[in-house]
Amino acid sequence: MKHFSKAMLIGSAIGMLTLAAPQLQAATPKDQLVIGTSLAQVLSLDPQQATEPKALEILANLYDRLVATTADGRIVPQLAESWADDGKSLTLKLRDAAFVSGNPVTANDVVFSLTRLMKLNQSGSSYFKRIGYSAETIANQIHAVDAKTVRIDLTDKVTADGLLYRLALGVSSIVDSAEVQKHMANDDSGNAWLRTHSAGSGPFTLNKWTPNEIVILDANKTYVGGAPKMRRVIIRHVPESQVERLMLDRGDIDIGNALSKSDLETFETKGNFVIQRVPTGGFYVLAMNAGNQYLANPKVREAIAYGIDYKGIEKTIMGPYGRARNIPVPENFEYALPNPDWHLDVAKAKQLLAEAGFKDGFSLTLKTISQTPRIDLATAIQASLGQIGIKVEIQQGNGSEIIAAHRARNFDLLLPQTSALMPNVLGSMDDFANNPDNRLEANNAGNFAWRSAWDIPGLTALVEKTSVEPDAKKRTELYTQMQQMFVDLKPALLPLFERFEPLVLSARVKGYLAHPNQMTRLENVTKADAE
Amino acid sequence: MKELSVAEFGRRIAHLIVSLFILLLVTFVIGRVLPADPVGAIVGELADPAAYAAVRQRLGLDLPVYEQFFIYLKGLAHGDFGTAILTGNPVSADLAQAFPATFELATLAVVISTFVGVPLGLVAALFRDRLIDKIARVVSLVGHSIPVFWFGIVGLVVFYAGLNWVGGPGRVDVYYEGIVTPRTGLLLVDSLLQGETDIFWNALGHIILPAFILAYAAVAYITRMTRSFTLEQLGQDYVIAARAKGVGPARTIVGHVLPNIAVQLITILAISYGGLLEGAVVTEIVFSWPGIGQYMTNALMIGDMNAILAATIIVGFFFMLLNFLADIAYAVFDPRTREAAR
Repeated sequence: MKHFSKAMLIGSAIGMLTLAAPQLQAATPKDQLVIGTSLAQVLSLDPQQATEPKALEILANLYDRLVATTADGRIVPQLAESWADDGKSLTLKLRDAAFVSGNPVTANDVVFSLTRLMKLNQSGSSYFKRIGYSAETIANQIHAVDAKTVRIDLTDKVTADGLLYRLALGVSSIVDSAEVQKHMANDDSGNAWLRTHSAGSGPFTLNKWTPNEIVILDANKTYVGGAPKMRRVIIRHVPESQVERLMLDRGDIDIGNALSKSDLETFETKGNFVIQRVPTGGFYVLAMNAGNQYLANPKVREAIAYGIDYKGIEKTIMGPYGRARNIPVPENFEYALPNPDWHLDVAKAKQLLAEAGFKDGFSLTLKTISQTPRIDLATAIQASLGQIGIKVEIQQGNGSEIIAAHRARNFDLLLPQTSALMPNVLGSMDDFANNPDNRLEANNAGNFAWRSAWDIPGLTALVEKTSVEPDAKKRTELYTQMQQMFVDLKPALLPLFERFEPLVLSARVKGYLAHPNQMTRLENVTKADAE
Repeated sequence: MKELSVAEFGRRIAHLIVSLFILLLVTFVIGRVLPADPVGAIVGELADPAAYAAVRQRLGLDLPVYEQFFIYLKGLAHGDFGTAILTGNPVSADLAQAFPATFELATLAVVISTFVGVPLGLVAALFRDRLIDKIARVVSLVGHSIPVFWFGIVGLVVFYAGLNWVGGPGRVDVYYEGIVTPRTGLLLVDSLLQGETDIFWNALGHIILPAFILAYAAVAYITRMTRSFTLEQLGQDYVIAARAKGVGPARTIVGHVLPNIAVQLITILAISYGGLLEGAVVTEIVFSWPGIGQYMTNALMIGDMNAILAATIIVGFFFMLLNFLADIAYAVFDPRTREAAR
């Protein structure tokens, strides 16, 4: 038994050590903010490359942009202290700010950053390509007038307002051109280096990023707006909702997002937590492939619009994540039209299918990313459409599989989600109402309407006209027309629910104001016990 | 070791290499057949086809699959595992970071499961069909049938959120992050070497729960096997002879039975160890453990083949290495193998 008792001894020793270990700290330090979230999609921290929401939250604090949008959608100064437009160009005056490196922020850095965005030619550049800027033309469209003045020419596809909103996006972050140029290799515009480093003038700097583990931001003590109140911001990868909930409960993280509906609900009654339900301006959408023999028919699409139990799904599945809405403009936006009369009406849906010549129904596939809440949403749609005679087969996949199928028009039904480019009718309809060339050869895979093979020349022209309409009153009328036309067309991109991002904050956290476009800034965040 | 002939040693090494090659080939083909799209992950959802095609070409994904495999092998021959899409780092650098985390967890788990499983199995065999045997059976059955995921969450609810006995997810509390310089990559070892005892205790508090949970499934297996090996020996003539001569039960077990089941036990432990390394995937996700399991899962999600292949090779190699070491251990423990080799 000698070995046995030795084993027992060691075993119990380990146990005792654990119990005797110093009591583990139960609260986060008062000068550090700890956020729990899923970092699985963060592949790059190059501001001109990353468009994933979690990456944007980080970048928003590493970099300043020329202008920013407030949570309620107003344009406010950031690096530009003032601007003016003469209908032909937008001229911006820069404030006296410096990068973390000590280099001053100059007009050359602005030209460098926006040129870099177009040259890198990744997802983010599409926001500018759509309004007439490109890698080839950008050199003639943006000018450093002097060290502190930048002029950007307007195109025939955008107003100064539309351009300003785009300059407030994460992809328009201003990078330290001297610093980035030091790290260029193989004509990559410094991308390999900037993916994992920061060279900005924002309130924080990147201390460390270990993919799928942790991101640590250090305060930029020389920030032009004053040193941030938190010394460090730590973003920890917590992929499991239940685990995140426990960490919040224990006080090991201050803010948690990516919680499931049921985990979120446990915080509703707890006094030491606050739930913020952040409107994103985006939507959960049912994309129908208008190239499909059935879905090409507007009557079939209308039948589907009448074949979904929006209210029931909102109550049982979407909860804090979504609110039923079938026009791609959030209800609280200015000039938003009231919802069309689409609701679950089995008889009407069946009648529409019969009128379309498909009395006996048919079968479709529905592709979705296997992720909360979309996977449950798919199941509910399957059940709902089953009632009107459309047999739906669900095909799940991970993000890259489903997006690849979407881009290739390789689907019948698919559940994408959108976010708003600008907090107005034009911005929120951007993904839904624009398809300049529906031909397969056009291969415009970055465009949602093209992916659905939804040919909408009239609506596209109307959107283009609205984008450049200088007269505010006329623009208002056009906003109404756009939404009405969208509904009348029986959209192949059917908005289902307005999208919200719920998050839970410890009541200790003060001054955290979540931003609809994930551009939440943290320099004014503090903790109750730090004041 | 001396007894193992050079030819035999060479034969086993060759075996190892062929097995690894087949493992690689199969993983590569499966990875390429999967519809995951690494290009989309890089360029983003809204990128236009030109940007998409450029990245596809840069990654060599426009080439035929056999050519891609050949290029990969060529790199491998030079010790180049390629670059990971997810991190932009050389895969070897990523693995140097992720593997020790898993290794530390799995090693602690195998130590725990050995020190619990073997004695439990011995006792269960000695007191066959008595209460202690039945308890052992239930304990191992539960460990075998309940998913690690569930255990992980319940463990966290009870010992972390409820009793406050252990640290939460992650290897260490966030405010201790980045203080210890990784030398071995094993946080428990590195923190002690650098005299950071606070961090050592904190890290121990973090690893103990996932290690126990990971160990539990292995305990079930080890207990059952130890019990059946022991029962087999207890019925042998030499045991009966020893008992007849008046040797007590403890001495019979330690002096006679254990040496006789040692070889079988080593096999079982080696298999368990390998199993723990690959089985850590779910545990790592529940406990936000930045190890090779989580690394592979995320790589699979975006079809990052370089990362998947290298991680597969490492785990496969380790598994084979354990088998190899177990083979050699036979020679040391079993006089018959020793004779045969001669």
